[in-house]
Amino acid sequence: MKPTLAAAAIFLLTGTSAPAHRLDEYLQGTLISVEKDRMDAQIALTPGVSVFPILIADIDVNRDGVISETERRAYTRRVLRDLSISIDGLPLTPHLVSAKFPAIEEMKEGRGEIRIEFDAALPGGGPHRKLIFEDRHQSRIAAYQVNCLVPRDPDIRIVSQNRNYSQSFYELNFVQAWAPSSAREFGWFTDSVKPLAALALLLSVRLAAMFPRR
Amino acid sequence: MKLNRAARIPILISLSLSAATAQTPTARIVSAANNFLSTLDDKQRQSVSFAFDDEQQRKRWSNLPVSIVPRAGLSMGDLNPAQRSAAMALVSSALSPRGFEKVQQIMAADETLKNTQGNGPQGGRGRGGPPNGRGGGGLMFGSDLYYVSLLGTPSEKNIWMLQFGGHHLALNITIDGERGILTPTLTGAQPALYTANGKTVRPLAGESDKAIALLNALDENQRKQAILSFRLADLVLGPGQDGKTIQPEGLKASGMTDKQRAMLVDIISEWAGIIHESAAAARMAQLRAEINDTWFAWSGPTTVTPGNNIAAYYRIQGPHLVIEYAPQQMGGDPSLHVHTMYRDPTNDYGRKPAAK
Repeated sequence: MKPTLAAAAIFLLTGTSAPAHRLDEYLQGTLISVEKDRMDAQIALTPGVSVFPILIADIDVNRDGVISETERRAYTRRVLRDLSISIDGLPLTPHLVSAKFPAIEEMKEGRGEIRIEFDAALPGGGPHRKLIFEDRHQSRIAAYQVNCLVPRDPDIRIVSQNRNYSQSFYELNFVQAWAPSSAREFGWFTDSVKPLAALALLLSVRLAAMFPRR
Repeated sequence: MKLNRAARIPILISLSLSAATAQTPTARIVSAANNFLSTLDDKQRQSVSFAFDDEQQRKRWSNLPVSIVPRAGLSMGDLNPAQRSAAMALVSSALSPRGFEKVQQIMAADETLKNTQGNGPQGGRGRGGPPNGRGGGGLMFGSDLYYVSLLGTPSEKNIWMLQFGGHHLALNITIDGERGILTPTLTGAQPALYTANGKTVRPLAGESDKAIALLNALDENQRKQAILSFRLADLVLGPGQDGKTIQPEGLKASGMTDKQRAMLVDIISEWAGIIHESAAAARMAQLRAEINDTWFAWSGPTTVTPGNNIAAYYRIQGPHLVIEYAPQQMGGDPSLHVHTMYRDPTNDYGRKPAAK
């Protein structure tokens, strides 16, 4: 019996032919954390054994069997370029913090994990914020997972997380207590000044009535 | 008063049993550890022993086979029958009877995998063996490929760790006086359903059956909250993600009935109850007290054929708890290949000092 037929026979008999390692997907797990003025993220990219040829062709572009520093940087740039990140509708530019690549052999075996860390500065905004993270990298073979870490800053509270089925689209709504928006900073002032303004108006009408112009 | 020989033997056995039962769990584990060490030669003792603060060894665990992610310590295949028996007695001493049974069933599943898939150097590709070059050697599956290691010196007073694991198993047991901490621990199985001695075995049956029972006990509104609308392909906080806490999602247990909360506690006990009873009791008391702040989230199929495992991912998360159950879609039936993770992100490896 040929090896492939033997393997098929084992599968039919036992139903346990699934391999021990990731197979036909490119797992891309992202963990996001938000802080007062920045966001940090880590993407762990793990190619399955059967999609490894697709991926290595994208990384080892000169096909010499070695991932050079230039190829690492170029691939990392492509991963970041395939992301769209925005806060309150304003696009954010991710800045690379670090990138670690495993050995080619490790990726070939389905255990190699590329780990890319990046951050982005968050412009000031109101108390209610909406961060959108979209990942289009290798979408034909990707299995995306996106999550937010519990904020370290107690003044930040996560309100909701929304995703599409594949998790290529992720929306994070959060509230920040110190929000430096004009609406928040001066809200107390406008609220407290309203009765004073009404009183001043009443007084001026009364004075006008008491001292009519001649 | 003199007793005849026949009368003395049962009394001696009885005294010896009561001495054993009078031992604290930690004393029992330390005794089993020292007994195991006494069966080893110097070279083996050196291989099995690590400094307590050896971060590399502490984190050298995975769901993957040892040929893909090499472990260190001593493999069961490295040991003679007496040494192996002492090693398993040590593991058993730190676990509950059901916890130890689960471990044995996970190892037996891997033995089944070896017998059905062969055990060639497929995953090894020339680099399969563990760092010390012993055992492994490119072999992927089987009960010989589970490793034991000790971090620190077994002690009733000072902190130390027992690690035991291989493919689909990583027990990280920290012993700190009378405290026993099991986090982080990874369990899994492939095949997650097999036949042994004419009986069907599902190492993770409780994890699967109790979770679908809870899902079925939820009303429509609760299910809407618990069932996530997106796919989860794998563990979120698997190996290499120590100490991280993700934002919880799903249905909060404060929105459950007492009966549903009890069912949730029962699911949690499948992991928290792996360790020996007194450590499990302390952990369950902590998790029960926080149950209202614990979340239950589900992703994937909401039905299962009776007697089979679920094919859905689920997560239970509380202030000091993350449990993930993740069937693997790796070219076969995902219900037959499962990874699970059990964590206390605030106390992985027992790093948090004991409460005074």
